[in-house]
Amino acid sequence: MNRDPSPFRPTSTASTATSPTPKYANLTASTNIRYSLTRKSIYDRHLNRTKTSELSKSAFAFLFGEMVQYAQKKVYGVQDLEKKLNLHGYAVGQRFLELLLWRDGRTAKRETRILGILQFISHQMYRAIFQKQADTLEKVRENEDEYMISDNDPIVNTYISVPKEMSQLNCGAFIAGIIEAVLDGHCFPAKVTAHTAPNDMWPGRTVFLIKFEPEVLEREALRVGS
Amino acid sequence: MVVYSFFIFDRHCECIYIRQWLESTSTPAPAQPLSRPVTASSATTTATSTAEKPTSGNKLSMAEQAKLVFGVIFSLRNMVKKLCGPDDSFLCFRTGHYKLHYYETITSLRFVMLTDIRTENLKLSLHQIYVNLYVEYVVKNPLSPVEHAGGEGVNNEMFELGIDGFVRTIQ
Amino acid sequence: MVVYAVLILNKAGGLIYQRDFNPGLQKISANDYLIIAGTFHGVHAITSQISPTNDTGSSGLEVLESEHFVMRCFQTLTGIKFLIFAEPRQPNLDVVVRRVYELYADYVMKNPFYQIEMPIRSEGFDRHLAAYIKPQA
Repeated sequence: MNRDPSPFRPTSTASTATSPTPKYANLTASTNIRYSLTRKSIYDRHLNRTKTSELSKSAFAFLFGEMVQYAQKKVYGVQDLEKKLNLHGYAVGQRFLELLLWRDGRTAKRETRILGILQFISHQMYRAIFQKQADTLEKVRENEDEYMISDNDPIVNTYISVPKEMSQLNCGAFIAGIIEAVLDGHCFPAKVTAHTAPNDMWPGRTVFLIKFEPEVLEREALRVGS
Repeated sequence: MVVYSFFIFDRHCECIYIRQWLESTSTPAPAQPLSRPVTASSATTTATSTAEKPTSGNKLSMAEQAKLVFGVIFSLRNMVKKLCGPDDSFLCFRTGHYKLHYYETITSLRFVMLTDIRTENLKLSLHQIYVNLYVEYVVKNPLSPVEHAGGEGVNNEMFELGIDGFVRTIQ
Repeated sequence: MVVYAVLILNKAGGLIYQRDFNPGLQKISANDYLIIAGTFHGVHAITSQISPTNDTGSSGLEVLESEHFVMRCFQTLTGIKFLIFAEPRQPNLDVVVRRVYELYADYVMKNPFYQIEMPIRSEGFDRHLAAYIKPQA
């Protein structure tokens, strides 16, 4: 992982730096885990239990909206905000990839080719998160190291209308972060960015541009050669 | 259909006639109209006190209510004219509990009737009250003054009986 | 269905949304719309006061009819007022106003860039409202 601001780092440093006062410890102990009547926390549940359960779209929209507002408070511009959303997504992606592969059980497989990993993202991963596949997967013709995954109506943007003065912003940066984490997890380091690319049918169409690091292409070339 | 009350406002925006019929559900004697129609010159204290007496069930005295009713129809009339041009006029509105019908003559006399919400639009009925009762018994009455400050002149027996009869026919 | 215009008032009587869909109302300035919104807010409060019935908790004005249009006003429990202007004798305005409320709840309230009580500038709301009220265009 060649990512400097790893989402794990701030939390780990923070917990070691602050010596937990008794009050703090009490607080966490009492609020962290909710026990049900059977004395079992959510960590005791089977991981597959929530595999097919549904989530309220409104609840998600409000949560995501709050997240965007929160992120907006401490940034200096659109790019900064997108980076922040990307980071949030990255944290989700890291954890989600683990869960996804664990759920696949013995059939799980580590993708080693660029095409394979991109298909894994636009099919399996997308279906697991959004219950649909990504709409297209293309290669950028001019650049050898760039690929595009497009989503006609990203679920995170359903209720979001970006104001005119921030027209560059696309909150799909969150999904871009998830994709980036999944790529990183498979050792395909890349930069993923979200861009609004509307057409007549889909005013909210979003393209995720994936730009691989040079070493990925180097490795790919070696494999083709062998 | 239930008629709750009836108001006439003259061109000086003064209420010159109020008539209230008690709600049939709240009183045991439904058909009995009030002993005397209440005139609404709230400037004199005597008129205010008589106006307050029959409305014990209501939150507001009739004179106060007349002022509010006029404020509402005046604002809505202006609003409608602004939105839809000077040739439009507002006919009625309804809330969850009552319906207010409005008719304005060329001479800026305004007739307002409050009924229950199931009543159809009463513009024609109000027009008939104007033509058949107001013009006949008030305007043509040689003893009646031209202006009706404090309801003077409108408050005559013939007009009152006419209104009563008319409301009974449409009820 | 011919809807002339949709107005939304916040709980202080300020106009936070105004949009014309079909010709039918006069073209008036934004300032005049603000005045109308403020006036209507007051009138709405008074109309619930002058109820002749003894029922408590009377609602304010719900339907206003004139020669050239009918207006449906819907006040939410949170105090927001939706005003729908349509051609006279237009049925089902209750359904229309409900749907507009739903679109508001979705595309305005769930938008993280919307500040509550402030004028609505939401492209998603505009788009979906237009698609619902004027599907042919």
